[in-house]
Amino acid sequence: MISQFFVLSQRGDNIVFRDYRGEVQKGSAEIFFRKVKFWKDDGEEEAPPVFNVDGVNYFHVKVVGLLFVATTRVNVSPSLVLELLQRIARVIKDYLGVLNEDSLRKNFVLVYELLDEVIDFGYVQTTSTEVLKSYVFNEPIVVDAVRLQPLSPAAIFMQGTKRMPGTAVTKSVVANEPGGRKREEIFVDIIEKISVTFSSSGYILTSEIDGTIQMKSYLTGNPEIRLALNDDLLIGKGGRSIYDYRSSTGSGAVVLDDCNFHESVRLDSFDVDRTLSLVPPDGEFPVMNYRMTQEFKPPFRINTLVEEAGALKAEVIIKISAEFSASITANTIVVEMPLPKYTTRVSFGLEPGAVGQRTDFKEANRRLEWGLKKIVGGSEHTLRAKLTFSQESHGNITKEVGPVNMTFTIPMYNASKLQVKYLQIAKKSSTYNPYRWVRYVTQANSYVARI
Amino acid sequence: MSGHDSKYFSTTKKGEIPELKEELNSQYKDKRKDAVKKVIAAMTVGKDVSSLFTDVVNCMQTENLELKKLVYLYLINYAKSQPDLAILAVNTFVKDSQDPNPLIRALAVRTMGCIRVDKITEYLCDPLQRCLKDDDPYVRKTAAICVAKLYDINAELVEDRGFLESLKDLISDNNPMVVANAVAALAEIEENSSRPIFEITSHTLSKLLTALNECTEWGQVFILDALSRYKAADAREAENIVERVTPRLQHANCAVVLSAVKMILQQMELITSTDVVRNLCKKMAPPLVTLLSAEPEIQYVALRNINLIVQRRPTILAHEIKVFFCKYNDPIYVKMEKLEIMIKLASDRNIDQVLLEFKEYATEVDVDFVRKAVRAIGRCAIKLERAAERCISVLLELIKIKVNYVVQEAIIVIKDIFRRYPNTYESIIATLCESLDTLDEPEAKASMIWIIGEYAERIDNADELLESFLESFPEEPAQVQLQLLTATVKLFLKKPTEGPQQMIQVVLNNATVETDNPDLRDRAYIYWRLLSTDPEAAKDVVLAEKPVISDDSNQLDPSLLDELLANIATLSSVYHKPPEAFVTRVKTTASRTDDEDYPNGSEQGYSDAPTHVADEGASPQTSSSNAPYAATRQPAPPPAAPVSPPVPDLLGDLIGLDNSAAIVPADQDAASPVPALPVVLPASTGQGLQISAELTRQDGQVFYSMLFENNTQIPLDGFMIQFNKNTFGLAAGGALQVPQLQPGTSGRTLLPMVLFQNMSAGPPSSLLQVAVKNNQQPVWYFNDKISLHVLFTEDGRMERGSFLETWRSLPDSNEVLKDLPGVVVSNVEATLDLLAASNMFFIAKRKNANQDVFYFSAKIPPGVPFLIELTTVIGNPGVKCAIKTPNPDIASLFFEAIETLLKA
Repeated sequence: MISQFFVLSQRGDNIVFRDYRGEVQKGSAEIFFRKVKFWKDDGEEEAPPVFNVDGVNYFHVKVVGLLFVATTRVNVSPSLVLELLQRIARVIKDYLGVLNEDSLRKNFVLVYELLDEVIDFGYVQTTSTEVLKSYVFNEPIVVDAVRLQPLSPAAIFMQGTKRMPGTAVTKSVVANEPGGRKREEIFVDIIEKISVTFSSSGYILTSEIDGTIQMKSYLTGNPEIRLALNDDLLIGKGGRSIYDYRSSTGSGAVVLDDCNFHESVRLDSFDVDRTLSLVPPDGEFPVMNYRMTQEFKPPFRINTLVEEAGALKAEVIIKISAEFSASITANTIVVEMPLPKYTTRVSFGLEPGAVGQRTDFKEANRRLEWGLKKIVGGSEHTLRAKLTFSQESHGNITKEVGPVNMTFTIPMYNASKLQVKYLQIAKKSSTYNPYRWVRYVTQANSYVARI
Repeated sequence: MSGHDSKYFSTTKKGEIPELKEELNSQYKDKRKDAVKKVIAAMTVGKDVSSLFTDVVNCMQTENLELKKLVYLYLINYAKSQPDLAILAVNTFVKDSQDPNPLIRALAVRTMGCIRVDKITEYLCDPLQRCLKDDDPYVRKTAAICVAKLYDINAELVEDRGFLESLKDLISDNNPMVVANAVAALAEIEENSSRPIFEITSHTLSKLLTALNECTEWGQVFILDALSRYKAADAREAENIVERVTPRLQHANCAVVLSAVKMILQQMELITSTDVVRNLCKKMAPPLVTLLSAEPEIQYVALRNINLIVQRRPTILAHEIKVFFCKYNDPIYVKMEKLEIMIKLASDRNIDQVLLEFKEYATEVDVDFVRKAVRAIGRCAIKLERAAERCISVLLELIKIKVNYVVQEAIIVIKDIFRRYPNTYESIIATLCESLDTLDEPEAKASMIWIIGEYAERIDNADELLESFLESFPEEPAQVQLQLLTATVKLFLKKPTEGPQQMIQVVLNNATVETDNPDLRDRAYIYWRLLSTDPEAAKDVVLAEKPVISDDSNQLDPSLLDELLANIATLSSVYHKPPEAFVTRVKTTASRTDDEDYPNGSEQGYSDAPTHVADEGASPQTSSSNAPYAATRQPAPPPAAPVSPPVPDLLGDLIGLDNSAAIVPADQDAASPVPALPVVLPASTGQGLQISAELTRQDGQVFYSMLFENNTQIPLDGFMIQFNKNTFGLAAGGALQVPQLQPGTSGRTLLPMVLFQNMSAGPPSSLLQVAVKNNQQPVWYFNDKISLHVLFTEDGRMERGSFLETWRSLPDSNEVLKDLPGVVVSNVEATLDLLAASNMFFIAKRKNANQDVFYFSAKIPPGVPFLIELTTVIGNPGVKCAIKTPNPDIASLFFEAIETLLKA
């Protein structure tokens, strides 16, 4: 069980502080902050999420720049505490619509009320927004949703295209709309984070997809929902044997290594027709998490050429090819590459007519950065950079640069081919037709090309 | 509601408190609510608003739940500082606990339980009793937790009022939330209690396994953790349990998954069918890997746990090494842990892939990570003989990049590789020597110098190389100086020519005359003497063949690993330390008075001792021993020790003696369960302060029982204590609680001790060096002895079967024998009781001619077992003691302890 819970700002100010057991001294927040801030003398290395100072164990997670912290003196389950901290952040976000220092301060009474229901004497009682609604009476004061840092992966839809209602993800699940009636709608987001490592010759060394089917429901009366996934979906590498002839070609079934489900999900017919049924609780929650290492086609290819060009000079050419359909556009792409320590100057050359691109040489950490606002499927982009050095390289320049790392977001694209075939809402009446949003997005987790 | 809560944080400049006071007493409800909010806001930023207590409490009687909750929040915070006023709230609490609204009923018990004021606690019992049987599950689940709260304040009250039974009844409740809280509360009480309260029988087991399916995710964790204490009877039961727990592996909550893994791993130990085990391993792998897709904080916890799991069951993740490859955006603490696991999983089959990764990491930006990657390559070389050559060639490649810290790190690991594979890879020394002048870190320098000295005969210019270091000898750190000294001696022994001879003169001179480092000086003198008396002997010593080092990737001691595995999914598994090393329970309350009810053997038969003492009118010192522990443990302190400061030495000696005076032990026993303590600092040494102390064991914890007697003319205060490094790493588990001592008075205290805090290296020793200071006197140092038997743990009992098995499984070299000629066993029963009281558990007895042979088991942290055989002729002096233990180094300490015990 935990002894205290508190939230600190980036500067170390106490925003929320609740002591559940009175076993840990009051100054713990300060002790914690100092320890985290100066974990190593140089202040460079990050403190691990769990550590012990003078018999007190401190747990922390970072959420949108805030530190959510718990303390205890006993030998608790650390995964329980860390998971709890994440969930508290989610519950507060469900209630407040947005989570930041401002919204926490404006709603401190509500937050304390929530904390009293979530934890009693250090024991978690519930973190379900749905359950909490019956015990919590304060109404949230909604803060302005503009200039907010995104909390969940789904927040990327906010920047998004006009097809999607951007504000939905920052709406409180309990507050009423200013206009009076709530809009009947449900969001199902398939969010995939992909990790790929290319060898220097362009082969895929490792590839992995971490996916989540995330749901956020604003439906009144909590109707039952059925989600149908690909009917040829396979789970577990062991299950491959019978279907080997299909999956090995790469064109057939989607094979997940492993998956898990939210506790509200019923899997009665999952084995038969790959259908999940659930009564969605209020609030944002993951219906299903999955992991896949089956080969997939990476959305981008990266070609890098590094050549010495004279005594103290070298040239770097990076070419990005988008290998997805032209109807899809990736956005907020950033390509980074560490350069040799003795690099003093970099001059960049973009393709003629390039728009929405920026280049930068970060001198502090000797890094080249290339940002592109968007990349349309099927296109190619090239960057040339001329490097100037203050000393000669130690022989093989390619050993001292790289790897190239890339981050991006691709809406309406998913690498795994896992699909929600249909989203059925148990009908109340023939006129009941709520908005249903099924959205796909793929993000780079660790997308690296070695040199 | 209007406006924003944050406005409550804004302050008016003057008279904030009077203003609030006025608003709290306003006739308008809304104004009062706003005022309470302002008070709470002030409270959270640390302002003292306790003076508003009465005004806030006046707002408590309201139907408005929102306001009521705020007032309750305030009460919890300030009741302790205003206990008399808090009583004002009691009536409302009691009334609320019978409110028709279940939320209000629950709120009332929940809040009352949080107010640690005795007067309130008294009133809590009746409402709590009612609420435990309430119709509404929300009230019942709140009441269940409240029992744990009450136990923390007043354990006796909980037992007397039968709340434990009510709590046990709730395990069968039809609401899973209630069940989960009852389990959590019972588990906590069990943890803090000195006797078993919550034993898990096969009946509770099956009930809880059923509840598991319906519980919330958090309840599942409570239940799984409580059940992990259950020991299945046989393989079949274990399989059944595992079968019912396995579906939890599919849960989205990582805590549920890890707790399920813990439970399965534990039951697997009992499962004999290799097929079942293999199948389980297969089932556990994907969920474990999936934990690595969670937030980095959870990944870290998962990785620390996986680190332990693969040491015991390497097959689980043998084929998954790729998932431990570092991602570009992993935080450094995750990368470091992944490296550790990669080393553990590296095998001849995957080493090429792994080396490719390490090589890549070694060129990254983060210096610490790069260093660790380089070391990892070296450790793989040491671990995998067939891959050593490939590892070395990668290291050489890295050296060629000439990044300074990479080179230094590589040299450090190459030294280890030389030690592991002597006379195999020396051809690369030339390459290493090229980087000689770039070395600036002590460890790298020392390693390089070691290499030069070790292979001086193969390096043509070894003398020149060493000479280049010698110039700066006085400025070098100790580590480098020591290596330089040894390397020069090696060089001289291998090439006794003029150059080295001069060098050795310089070095020896430097290391003896010019230095104030005793280690360096001692070593130099030894070499000097060796060289001057017998150069051949010097050769034998200095150039002796070194033991080959081995792979250290599974470096954890097996018994520690066992204990850590039993603690998977707890903090212990993240720190890789046994729980007693970091859990310091602070018992602030005087609650445990159950000593009389549950005597631990030795006290049996003396239960009416206090009366006896009172008859003699010999307990005048009760008030002087007001240290918290003393107050709880010793209702009647021993009359002898504290009463008689004038003759302390005599008394100390008397009691310190064995059985010399038959009357003394009798008196001592009759007086109190607390024996008189041996004097460790006599008054003559302590300028009038006398300290008596002894390590004791109570309720499964080690304490330093101390008595301070002030025979000076001045009051002494500000006592503090410190322990020097010792074999078991014993250290104070809290501050020393000694009040000010007036002249002529004394004070007793029980200092809780923790283990494994400051371990000393070297051979095991019973020496415990203690320093005590106070504000008036200089620091006092004294030596005490660690009697091993205070470390014997309560769980040291072994079943016959496992005793035999363990005995057989330990090699004969682990058996140590000793004769204890001065010991007589005259009464078997008494002896067995005596030993049992010290957690030495009797297992069996057999007759061998006229001799009796007894078998016992005992265990010391971290789970090191002792198997003991005592052979003696009853009534005749002389006991032969044979022990077997995985750790025979500490046998001598064991014999000391058993000799003391048997003579007592």
